[in-house]
Amino acid sequence: MIIDIFGMALQAMKSYKIRTFLTLLGVVIGVASVIMVTTAGGSVSSFVAEQFNVFNPIGMVIGTGTGGDTPQLSMRSVVFTDNDVEKIQNLPSIKTVAPVGIVPLNKILKRDGFLKWESRPGETMYASTPELLKIFNLELEEGTLFEEGKNEVVISKNVAEIFGTDKPLQVGDTIYLRRVDGRTLEAKVVGILKESSTSNLLGAMANPGVICPIKPYYSTYFGSNAGTVLKRVVAYTILLAEATDTKHVQDAQDQILEYLDSGGSDASQYKDQNTDFVVITQQYILVRIEQVVSVIRVYITAIALISLLIGAIGIANIMYATVTERTREIGTMMAIGAKRRDILQLFLFQSTIIGLLGGILGCILGAAGSWFVVDLLNRSVQNLGGVIAGGSIQTIYAPEWFLIASIVGILIGMAAGILPARRAAKMDPVEALRYE
Amino acid sequence: MKDYVINIDSLTKTYRSGKTSFKALNSVNLKIKKGDFIAIMGPSGSGKSTLMHIIGCLDRPTSGTIIIDGENISTVSDNQLAQIRGRKIGFIFQKFNLIPTMNALKNIELPMVFLGGTKADRNQRAAELLGKVGLTNWATHRPSELSGGQQQRIAIARALSNNPSIILADEPTGNLDTKTGEQIMKLLVSLSKEGKTILLVTHAIALKRYANRVVNMLDGKISEKK
Repeated sequence: MIIDIFGMALQAMKSYKIRTFLTLLGVVIGVASVIMVTTAGGSVSSFVAEQFNVFNPIGMVIGTGTGGDTPQLSMRSVVFTDNDVEKIQNLPSIKTVAPVGIVPLNKILKRDGFLKWESRPGETMYASTPELLKIFNLELEEGTLFEEGKNEVVISKNVAEIFGTDKPLQVGDTIYLRRVDGRTLEAKVVGILKESSTSNLLGAMANPGVICPIKPYYSTYFGSNAGTVLKRVVAYTILLAEATDTKHVQDAQDQILEYLDSGGSDASQYKDQNTDFVVITQQYILVRIEQVVSVIRVYITAIALISLLIGAIGIANIMYATVTERTREIGTMMAIGAKRRDILQLFLFQSTIIGLLGGILGCILGAAGSWFVVDLLNRSVQNLGGVIAGGSIQTIYAPEWFLIASIVGILIGMAAGILPARRAAKMDPVEALRYE
Repeated sequence: MKDYVINIDSLTKTYRSGKTSFKALNSVNLKIKKGDFIAIMGPSGSGKSTLMHIIGCLDRPTSGTIIIDGENISTVSDNQLAQIRGRKIGFIFQKFNLIPTMNALKNIELPMVFLGGTKADRNQRAAELLGKVGLTNWATHRPSELSGGQQQRIAIARALSNNPSIILADEPTGNLDTKTGEQIMKLLVSLSKEGKTILLVTHAIALKRYANRVVNMLDGKISEKK
């Protein structure tokens, strides 16, 4: 019996194909947009989370520049001394500190045969300790780390191929590094880095091409004329540091700034009056990105839910119209023995079928739509270039949302249909039969 | 008493709108025997439609009793009323009132659907009735593909599907030409001969001749004369 009424509902829907289709469309678009937004949102969120894995979440860059809400490094002043490195190392929330001396190179040279030389333009060279690799999240593909005081360097994959991809530099090769001051220093390649993305420190610093020990490659001094005696101290542009864990990044940052800004640090004496100390953390930027993503997500989900609501109103509207239009039919059915419950079911089935079908079709359309949205996002992510650590956003479908969307479709169909169906069921048969 | 298929005693129906009230039926008494063919006649507003609606279990009286086929319908619930309608009453309307989205056979089946018969039984019975009204070849046609006379015959078949004891026909020839109307009336006469009680509500005096009893209505009251 209930099956027969279900059949009658289907039959009626088939008879009003365009009306059914248009009503369905409202639900389909609503459900599809919810699926699309949640899937795209989830995909972007997990992409951002992946960025955490590429970047070093506890890493930070200490330098001079302009402070404030969006701190900028200038990398111009050479201010940090070994004494500062030691003091910062002893701060409670700091795990490691690595000084970075930037060694501008004019040329990288290689002996070709006995007398011939091959020469290439210089690369970024960082003089530091092996800790730098850890803070940059860099790994060796082959070879070993350099030793302090020895003429040894670790080079990137790019630099290894500087003399041609057909004859890349090997571990054990000797190269010559010509500094901008004219001195040429011999260096043995002891390690080659794994290929890495543009910047592991989220754009704060470029990834190094050559990493060398401080001795014998770095000899930038800060000269201060104390009376007639020239005091010479080795000083660095940048310090890299790691907090003890992700929870203490903020603490570490505060402690470093407190130390540097106090008169006790060497850097505070050497620093230009017009510049600030700047500590750039990775977490700060990533947390901000996640905040923005989640705000956008909530916002778009709200819009999607509104379109779902409009779909529901569409069902209610069309059901009212249908009930009014079929008033005499309702009267007739009552006259030939239909109970109020039968009439209620007949119309409730129609709206529920529309809701269910809309839910299912919406899921399918939403799945396809999500794929397109993620594809579109990937295109714009690629345009961002260096800011992103690489990789692409994967479309991650949340199965529970498909279930939720289908159930919501049915519920919306029922909720939107209940009032019109009740109106039909409550009709006075005499009045209904008289309806023209 | 048991011989009467319809037994109406001092039936009153009052319609109220605001402070004014209107007595559509005023202490009507009427007893109808099984197999009677009764024409209820009268001008519009005389109360004949109201009487038909109450006999057809579509409406309830304000006071008085009405017993149909042994059941007092003044006191039953909406659901029971619907069931009594389905089982005991067959309706025939002026405008046929077939369901436009269903074919002829499905329309005939519909009253059985509401009573809950099995699909096989329903199909068999509907096909049988379709044969009885001479439209076997039109089973899968929708009402819009049928002539007025054909539609009314489908409606008669539908009215018969639950084998009711009473057939209520409200101006059944009102939308038909004279010749087709005559055929429909003859079909009703033959049903009455099979033992169905027929109540014909009309103001067409020409239809009087088919009835074996004529009830005239005026201002909510009955006056009988042959």
